Amino acid sequence: MIVFEHVGKRYGGRFEALANLDFRVRRGEMVFLTGHSGAGKSSLLRLIMRLERPSRGRVLVAGHDIERLHASQLPFYRRQIGVVFQDHQLLFDRSVFANVALPLEIQGMEPREIARRVRAALDKVGLLYREKALPIELSGGEQQRVGIARAVVNKPALLLADEPTGNLDPQLSADIMALFEDFNRIGTTVMIASHDLALIARLRHRILRLREGRLVADEEAA
Amino acid sequence: MSRDDTPARRGARSQRTQASSRLRAWGRHHRAMGLDSARRLVRQPLGSLLTMLAIAIALVLPAGLWLMLDSARLLDAELAESATLTAYLEPRVGEGEAMRIAEALGAHDDVAAVRLITAAEGMAEFQQALGLGDALGRLESNPLPASVVVMPRQEAPAAMQALVDELEAVTGVEEVRLDLAWVERLAQLAELGRRVALALALLFGLGVLLIVGNTIRLAVESRRQEIEVVTLIGATHAFVRRPFLYSGAWYGLGGGLLALGLLNLGGHWLATPVSALAVSYGAHFAMPRLDVAGSATLLLCSTLLGWLGAWIAVGRHLASIRPR
Repeated sequence: MIVFEHVGKRYGGRFEALANLDFRVRRGEMVFLTGHSGAGKSSLLRLIMRLERPSRGRVLVAGHDIERLHASQLPFYRRQIGVVFQDHQLLFDRSVFANVALPLEIQGMEPREIARRVRAALDKVGLLYREKALPIELSGGEQQRVGIARAVVNKPALLLADEPTGNLDPQLSADIMALFEDFNRIGTTVMIASHDLALIARLRHRILRLREGRLVADEEAA
Repeated sequence: MSRDDTPARRGARSQRTQASSRLRAWGRHHRAMGLDSARRLVRQPLGSLLTMLAIAIALVLPAGLWLMLDSARLLDAELAESATLTAYLEPRVGEGEAMRIAEALGAHDDVAAVRLITAAEGMAEFQQALGLGDALGRLESNPLPASVVVMPRQEAPAAMQALVDELEAVTGVEEVRLDLAWVERLAQLAELGRRVALALALLFGLGVLLIVGNTIRLAVESRRQEIEVVTLIGATHAFVRRPFLYSGAWYGLGGGLLALGLLNLGGHWLATPVSALAVSYGAHFAMPRLDVAGSATLLLCSTLLGWLGAWIAVGRHLASIRPR
């Protein structure tokens, strides 16, 4: 699903954020990406979303060299990736329902179909009863679950998450991770960047460890 | 990569339905964004009104000037119709001979009508026009010649000039004056006015672009996070741009409507003194009004200007917004 071939990324010609990354993630896999802050986790995710381009090497997603995507194809490429952010990036001027509906509206789906899918996604994260609320009225954990609902509402084949449990207490973090496992179980490839080592050690999935932009360990699922 | 069937794997028929559903979705988004951007404008009534007012003021000046010129052109045409020649007779020509000459001139093929002004009548008119009654009254003899006002059949300048030459050859006619110089001068003035109006329209059109552009720039800035998020989840540039283009068009339309209102208000306000002035010159001059076509043109132009201003502002700005 994801292939990194000797990928390096420099910023401003000097700072080397990523160096010689070489790994592949199979379709349907669930992978944790870990390391200290500044180890390059976010840069790696940004390369997959093609918000950045590698300085060296190739990134292939679903068999395509994403470097070759034309700017006009990027929106359609990104629609196939669900992304969950640490700060969840919800829009505070509209309801939970409208936030989750956004990816489907962008794709131009029929309103009735949108409503059906949004409710299904909200139901999955346990927030169907909050669909009319504004994000500001929700707790941090609930906001993150809305973010997840938005990421999965168009059933992406690949789900990326950048520190999705960054600001949550251990119980809520475990709940969030359980949600990701649910999506993985139905076939979604999931890649989660997290520095919550205790939590991800318990979950027994493959772990990619980054240190100073280098892949220092690739631990297969136990 | 998506688990849904790709279009290529479906039949041609479902591709057609997909195209039509995409078209419907496109129309739906246009409708939604048109309404949404209108709602945003209404939610900030004062700010929106001020922007529209600024646009309206920028439109009123060139539109008003153009209106005045347009009606001046009508007046101009009316005046050209009344272009006349004046044949001044030789001073020695007596009253009887003058009448004979006038008849002869009236018989010319290219002459529609003639009116004789005898030396005495000419004097009376002159005195009345200049209010110099006493001063002229002291003159021992009338220095003015008799004259014949000639209404030509053809008003083309070349035909008029030919007629002048022919009439001057008639015995007893000293000189024929073509009263066209001032008509030409008026036409030149009108041309100057038209060019000034055009320059003003270009300048103020640019002003409208800047006003709308700046307003939209602020709107884009205030919705930066939203733009970043929708870009991240796969919105096309067109999708991101659409609400702002509608905002720009609404601003333009609102500004155009206000400009129409201001023009009508100004017309009413000036109507009385203008017609009084016209009457004092013995002319009929109604205050110009924008007709339906003119109003529609103004609204169309202002809406397009607003849309264009938004396009430029969003285009320039979107490039600078990249998701973090």
